[in-house]
Amino acid sequence: MAEKVAKVFALTIPSALEEMERVRAFVEDATRRSGFDEELSHWIDLSVNESAINAIVHGNRQDPGKTVFLQITTNDHAIEIIIEDEGAGFEMCDVPDPTNIENILRPSGRGILIIRSFMDEVDLSKSHSGGCRLRMFKRIGDQDPL
Amino acid sequence: MNLVITTRRLDDVLVLDLSGRITMGEGTLVLRNRIRELLLDGNSKFLLNLADVSYIDSSGLGELVTSFTTVRNQHGHLKLLNLTTRVHDLLQITKLLTVFDVYTSETEAVKSLR
Repeated sequence: MAEKVAKVFALTIPSALEEMERVRAFVEDATRRSGFDEELSHWIDLSVNESAINAIVHGNRQDPGKTVFLQITTNDHAIEIIIEDEGAGFEMCDVPDPTNIENILRPSGRGILIIRSFMDEVDLSKSHSGGCRLRMFKRIGDQDPL
Repeated sequence: MNLVITTRRLDDVLVLDLSGRITMGEGTLVLRNRIRELLLDGNSKFLLNLADVSYIDSSGLGELVTSFTTVRNQHGHLKLLNLTTRVHDLLQITKLLTVFDVYTSETEAVKSLR
């Protein structure tokens, strides 16, 4: 095993879409310092982007008094991303399948599908504050993960 | 880089060269407003050239769908040209490739709209 020392990156933001620039910079810094290539970095960025927007808009309803917590943990073999909001909860199964013919022309509802397509594991649970805790996990090598 | 749209006319077909990011907020708004302006000007045949779109998220995909339905509701046509690999992958994952007519040749795309 070349390296199994984890790097942990964390950011807490107010629930405002203007904060997405900071989220982008945070992900860029994490992927660069983890030594990931451009393609992997792009899909991590997209997954964090989608889940952070969900947390701000659907979780915290853009309430500036509530925060979103982001954590990216990486080593040579895996990536774990955790996004927590302080909202009222969100059920992934409540999102209609955007690929169904009756939903295909809807303008929204594709974020979770995109995340699931890239990640190996996507779990939703309750955060300490009672909001949502989204955990995404991706293996990037053949070795033991995190 | 935010979304920049340059418009070219080939007979009655408008080719919109999109460059930059189509993401929630400004990127989607720029596209929505441009399509609406061009529809109000009486245009009905649109070809979106996505060759220089570096990044698109689910909101951007949603805006492409909104553009498609807005144009179709006005009895027009909207097709896509030159998808990057990433945009193509996302359209495949979301099954939006079943919605859009996609071309790799501008000549063929324009011909199909005439």
